Amino acid sequence: MSDAYATTDRLVSADSNSYDRGLDAAIALSVIGFTLGLVTLVNLVPPGASGSSLTTALGTLLAVVVGAVGITGLASYANVVPVTSQRVRGIGLGLVVSVVALTVLAALLPVTMATLLGAVLLVEALAITAAGVTSRLELVDTEPNMSAGLLSGVAFGAIGLAMGAAVGGALAGFGSLPWLIGAAVAGVSLFLLAILPREDLGSTLPTALVVGALGLTIVTGTIGVGWQWNPQTLSGGFTGGAVIPVFLLVGTLLSAWSAAKCRAGFGARGREYGAFLVINLNAFLMVAVMATIVVFVTLKGVGYAVRGLSVGALTALVFLTPALLAAVQFARTPAGTNDWNDGARQLFRVLPLAAVGALAATFVSVLVTGSPLRYSYAYTVQVNRQGQALDTALAVTPDTTVGPLLLLAPAVLLAVTFFRSFGSLRNVGTQSERTGSIRQAVPTAALVLVVLIGFFLILGPAPFGLPLGETLGFAAVVAGAVAAGGLAVTPLVGVLTSDGPTLADSAQREAPLFTLGVFGGLGLLLAALLLQPVAGINPRVGPVNLVPVVAFGAAVASLALATLTTVAKRSSEETITRRLLTEETRLGLVGAAGFTALVGLHVAATGVSFTVLGVAVSNEGSFSWPMVMQAYIPLGAEPGGIMPAIVGTVWLVVGATLFAVPLGVGAAVFLTEYAEQGRFTAVVEIATNALWSTPSIVFGLFGAAFLIPRLGGDESLLAGMLVLGFMLLPLVLITSRESIKAVPDEYRDASAALGVTQWETIKSVVLPAAMPGVITGVILGVGRIAGETAPLILVLGSTLNATESVDVIDGFRFVSGPPFIANDALLTASASLPTQVWAVIAAGVSGSPQMGWATAFILLMVVLTFYAVGITARTYFRRKLNYE
Amino acid sequence: MTEDIPTTEGETVSSEDRADGSTLAVGAVATTLVATILVFLFRPALALPMLLAFVFVTAVGWVTYQAEVARLLTLVATVLTVLTVAFITFFLFASALPAFLEHGTGLLLIPEQGGEARWFFWLETVLPSDSTYWNPLSGAYSLIPMIWATVVVTVIAGAVAGPLGLFGALFIAEVASDRLREIIKPGVEILAGIPSIVYGFIGFQVLNGFIQTNFLDDGASFLIAGIVVGVMALPTVVSVGEDALSSVPQSMGDGSVAMGATEWQTMKSISIPAAFSGISAAVILGLGRAIGETMAVAAIMASGTQFADPLFDVFDANATLTSLIATQYGSASESTVDVLFVAGVMLFVIVAGMSIVSQYIERRMQRKLKGQQ
Repeated sequence: MSDAYATTDRLVSADSNSYDRGLDAAIALSVIGFTLGLVTLVNLVPPGASGSSLTTALGTLLAVVVGAVGITGLASYANVVPVTSQRVRGIGLGLVVSVVALTVLAALLPVTMATLLGAVLLVEALAITAAGVTSRLELVDTEPNMSAGLLSGVAFGAIGLAMGAAVGGALAGFGSLPWLIGAAVAGVSLFLLAILPREDLGSTLPTALVVGALGLTIVTGTIGVGWQWNPQTLSGGFTGGAVIPVFLLVGTLLSAWSAAKCRAGFGARGREYGAFLVINLNAFLMVAVMATIVVFVTLKGVGYAVRGLSVGALTALVFLTPALLAAVQFARTPAGTNDWNDGARQLFRVLPLAAVGALAATFVSVLVTGSPLRYSYAYTVQVNRQGQALDTALAVTPDTTVGPLLLLAPAVLLAVTFFRSFGSLRNVGTQSERTGSIRQAVPTAALVLVVLIGFFLILGPAPFGLPLGETLGFAAVVAGAVAAGGLAVTPLVGVLTSDGPTLADSAQREAPLFTLGVFGGLGLLLAALLLQPVAGINPRVGPVNLVPVVAFGAAVASLALATLTTVAKRSSEETITRRLLTEETRLGLVGAAGFTALVGLHVAATGVSFTVLGVAVSNEGSFSWPMVMQAYIPLGAEPGGIMPAIVGTVWLVVGATLFAVPLGVGAAVFLTEYAEQGRFTAVVEIATNALWSTPSIVFGLFGAAFLIPRLGGDESLLAGMLVLGFMLLPLVLITSRESIKAVPDEYRDASAALGVTQWETIKSVVLPAAMPGVITGVILGVGRIAGETAPLILVLGSTLNATESVDVIDGFRFVSGPPFIANDALLTASASLPTQVWAVIAAGVSGSPQMGWATAFILLMVVLTFYAVGITARTYFRRKLNYE
Repeated sequence: MTEDIPTTEGETVSSEDRADGSTLAVGAVATTLVATILVFLFRPALALPMLLAFVFVTAVGWVTYQAEVARLLTLVATVLTVLTVAFITFFLFASALPAFLEHGTGLLLIPEQGGEARWFFWLETVLPSDSTYWNPLSGAYSLIPMIWATVVVTVIAGAVAGPLGLFGALFIAEVASDRLREIIKPGVEILAGIPSIVYGFIGFQVLNGFIQTNFLDDGASFLIAGIVVGVMALPTVVSVGEDALSSVPQSMGDGSVAMGATEWQTMKSISIPAAFSGISAAVILGLGRAIGETMAVAAIMASGTQFADPLFDVFDANATLTSLIATQYGSASESTVDVLFVAGVMLFVIVAGMSIVSQYIERRMQRKLKGQQ
C-alpha cells in the first residue's frame, strides 16, 4: 500500500465532530426516506397507512436496519471486516437512529405515512440550512469554492421553473400570464440563489428551499393522501398516492446530495462525495429493480409452477450425489492457519457439506421410517373466469423407484468427473501375455457388435423374413454381456489371487487389469446394450434381464475394487504407490458410476424395469412435476401443465443453434483468419451489427412472408427455428470474431515458425484458444433467443393451452419420392414458452393469470440459467487465462 | 492475424504438390453446393437429396484435402451469411414496395381516406374528430399515429435510460471496486436477458392496475410502456457506455490525478468529455432498442390507431409501429400486409441506421483516443 492511500485512510478515519455526525445522520435519513419513497410508490405500504399498520411496517424496516448494521458492526468489532471510515460508521449509526426515531414517532403520534414522510423532508431542509449557515459563519473547518457552479445553478433553475409552474398553475390556472411570471420568477431566483453566494450557501439554501417546500406541501395536507387532480385535457390524472412518493424521491435525492457535499466540506472533495453518493444510489436502484423483477415473478409464479411436485426419496438421494461430491470437494480445499477468523473461513468451507449432508440424511430418514415429508398449500386455478383455490402439496415420498433418466444423468456426470481426475496407468504393473491378447480382442468384439447394430438398424430385426434378431442378435448380446461381466470382475479376481507380499503390491502389479476391466467392460456392455432394442430382444436369466444384472454386478465389483485400493492405500507408505493406488481408486469409481449409468440406460432403451434389493429402476419413476411433465388437461379438475411449450422451446433452440452456429463460426474464421482485413470485412462487420440490432418483429415479418409460403404454407416449427437462427447468426458471428481476434498473434507466429500449415494452425491453435469465448457467446445468444416472442407469434402458430407436444424425432420418415425424408412434425404449429405467455395476455379475461405467471417464471428460469451458465463460464475462462 | 501469414487464394490452392486433386475436391464441393442452392430455390422438393450429395462430397474432400475444403467451407459460411443479410433486406424492401406505390406518401405524411388526401389531418389532432387513420375495411391506411406513438414511447424510454444508463456506466467503469464490478456487471447483463414478454406480462398484470389507481388512468398508457421500455434499454446504454468510458486511456486520467484533481473532477472533465461520443453512441443504440421493442409494448398497450389527444398526453395509448405488426398481422388482408411491410421497412431502416451511426461514432472515438495515446 502506498503512502497516498495511507493518507486518505487517515483523512477518512479522522475523528468526527458533531457537525460531521449530524450530517451523517442527515444522509442516513435521506437514504431511509428514499427507500420509504420507493416502498410507498409501489404501494407496499400505502401513503395513508397509520396506527398499527404503519408501526408494523416501520418496525420491519427497523429490524432489517438494526440487523444489517448490527452484524456489520459486530464483524467490525471482531476485526473480521474492519470498518475504519468514520463516514461509514456515522451513516450506519444514523440509519439506526433515524429509523428508531421514525418508529417511535409513528407509535406515539396519530400520523399517517405521508405526514411522516413530509416531516422527514422538513427535517432534512432544516439540517441542510443549519449546515450551510454553520459553514458560512466559519464555525467549522470547510473549503468551499466561491460559487456552487453553473451546472447546479442551471439544475436548480429548472427545478424552480417546474415548481413555480406547478404552484402558479394551481393558483392562477394554466396558460395565464401570472402562471408564466410565477414560473419564471421561481426559476430565476433559484438559479441566482445557487450561483451568487459562496458554495456553502449556494448548494444548501436552494436545496433546503426546494426540499422544505415539498415537505410543507405534504405535511400541511395541501397534497394529501386523498388528493386528486384530473385535468380535462389528459386521459389520466394525479393522485396523492403517486405524487407524494415522487416528491419524496426527488427531495431525498437532493438532500442526500447536498448533505454529502456539506459532510465532505464542500470544494472539490465535497462535490466528489455528493456525486459519488448519487451514482451509488443509482447503481443500488438498478440492482434493486433487477432483483425486484426476478423476485416478483418468482413469488407470483412459483406456487403454481411447482404444484404437485413429488419425488421419491431414493430418486432425491441419487440426484443429490453430485452435489454431495461437489460439497466434499469444496470442503477439501485447504484452509489457512489456526487463527480464529481462519477458523470462521473453514466453517464456511464445511457449511455446504453439512447442508447437503443434512438433506441427504433427511431423505434417508424418509426411506427408513416410511413416512413422507409433505408441505401443503393452496394454489389458484381459473374456472369460468373465476379464481378457484385448489389444495396441493410438495412431497418427498418413501418410494424406492428411480426413473432411468434420473439415474442416468447423475451417474454419467459422476463417471465423467472421476474420469477427468483420473490420469493414466500406462506402463504400470506387469502385463501378462493373456491380458495382451484380450486387450486386442475387446475392440474387435465391440466393433462386431456395432456392425450388428448398424445392420439391424437399417434392415430391421427380421431382415428378409429371417428371425436374425432373435437368433444372431440374442447370441451376440448374451456373449457380449457375459464377456463384459467377466472383464469387469477380472481386476478384483486378479488382485485377490495375486501373490504379492501386500495388498498394495498386488494392486500395483495387476494395474493393467484395471484399465482393461473397466474400459473394456464398459465399452462391450454399452454395445451389447444398444444391440438389444434394435434387434428387438431382451435376454433373461431366470426372472430378470441379463444386461442390467451384469451391469449391476459390474458396478458392485468396481465399487469393491475402489474400496480395496483405498484400504490398500491406508496401509502403504511409499508415495509413488499411494499415487498409483489413488488412480486405481478413481478408475474403480469411474467403473461403478459408469455401470450404474448403463443400468439406467438399459431401462430407458428397453422400457423393462429392473429390480434389485427392493430398489426398482423403472420408466414409471417416482418423480412427478405436473407443470413440466404434463400437457394441458381441458376440463379437468387439475389444469395440467405446459409440457408442449417446453418441448417446443427446446426444439426451437436446438434448430436455431444447428442453423446459426456452423455458419456463424465458419464465417468468423474466414473473416478473421483468411480474408484480408479491409473494406470487405468492415462492411460485413457493420452489416452484422446492424442486423443484430434489427427489431425482432422485422425478422418475424420476413419469416411470415417468405419462409412460410415455401415451407408448406402453414405456420410451423421449422419456420420458427429458421427465424430464430437468423437472429442468432449475427451474435454468434460477432462473439466468435471477437474471441478469435483475441487469440494473441504470438500463438499463430509460433505455430507458423514450426512449419505448421495455416489450416493446421487454425485447427489446433487458434480455435481451441478461442473456443471458450465462442461457447460463452453461443450460450448467451441462445439465452436471448429462448425468450424471444415477437417473431414467433407471426411464424409459430401456437395456441393457448396446447394439449400435445410436437414429436420431432418420431416425425422423421422415409418417403419414396423426393426429398425422400419428410418430417411432418417440423411443419406443424407448435407451442413455446414465450408465445404461451403472450397467448395468456391475448386471451384477455379468459386467460388464467396464475398460469401466465407460472409460465413466465419457468421461462425466466430457463433464460437466466443460460445466462448464469454463460457468465460463469466466461468468468472461469477469463480467470484461467489471467492467472495461468 | 492474417497479415502475419500471407496467403492468397491462389497460393493456398496451388501451394502443395497435390494441387490437381485439391482443385478437383474444392471444385466438386463448390459445384454441389451451388447446385443445392439452385435446386432449393427452384425445385425445393429435390433439395434434400442434393444436400446429401453435397455432404457426401464434402466429407470425401474433408478426408483427402482438409485444408482446402475447410477454407472453402468457411468462405461458403461467409457468403451465406452475407447473402442472408442481403436477402432479408432486399425482400423487405421488395414486399413494401407495392403498398408504398399504392398509397404513396399517404402512409407516412398525409393520410388518405377513400382515395382523397386529408391535407388538414393535423387540425384533427387539435379539433375533436372521429375520422379514422386506420381502417382496412374502408381502405384507410396511415402510419402517422403509430409513428407518433413510437416517438412518444422512445422519448420516455430515453428519458429513463439515458441518465440512469450514464450513471450506471460511470459506476461500473470508474467508481465501483473490482469485486463490486464483478457482481454488478453480470447483474446488468442478466437484466438485459430478462425476456421482453416477461416485462410485458408484468406490465399487463400489475403496472396497468397500478397506473389506474395512482394516475386515474383508464388502462394502458404511453407512460408505463415508455418506462418499461426504458428499463429494457438501460442495460444496452450501460454496457456500451461503460465500454466507451473504459476505452479512455488510463494515462489521461492519471495525468489529471497527478495534477491533484479529485476522481470526480477527473471523471467530469476528462473521462466523460473524452468518451462523450461513445456515450452518445450508447444512448443512440439504446434508443434503437427502444424503437424496436415489440412485446412489452404490445402487452401493455391495447392497440389503438388514433393520435393521442392532445399529442403530449402520456396517459393515452396507441399502437406503435412494432406492436401494430405484432397485433395486426394475424388477421391482415393482403393490402394490409403490404402496409405492415412498410412499417417493417421503416423500423429496419431507422434502427439499422442508428446502429451504423453509433458504430461510426464509436470507431471515430477509438481512432481519436488511439491517436492521443
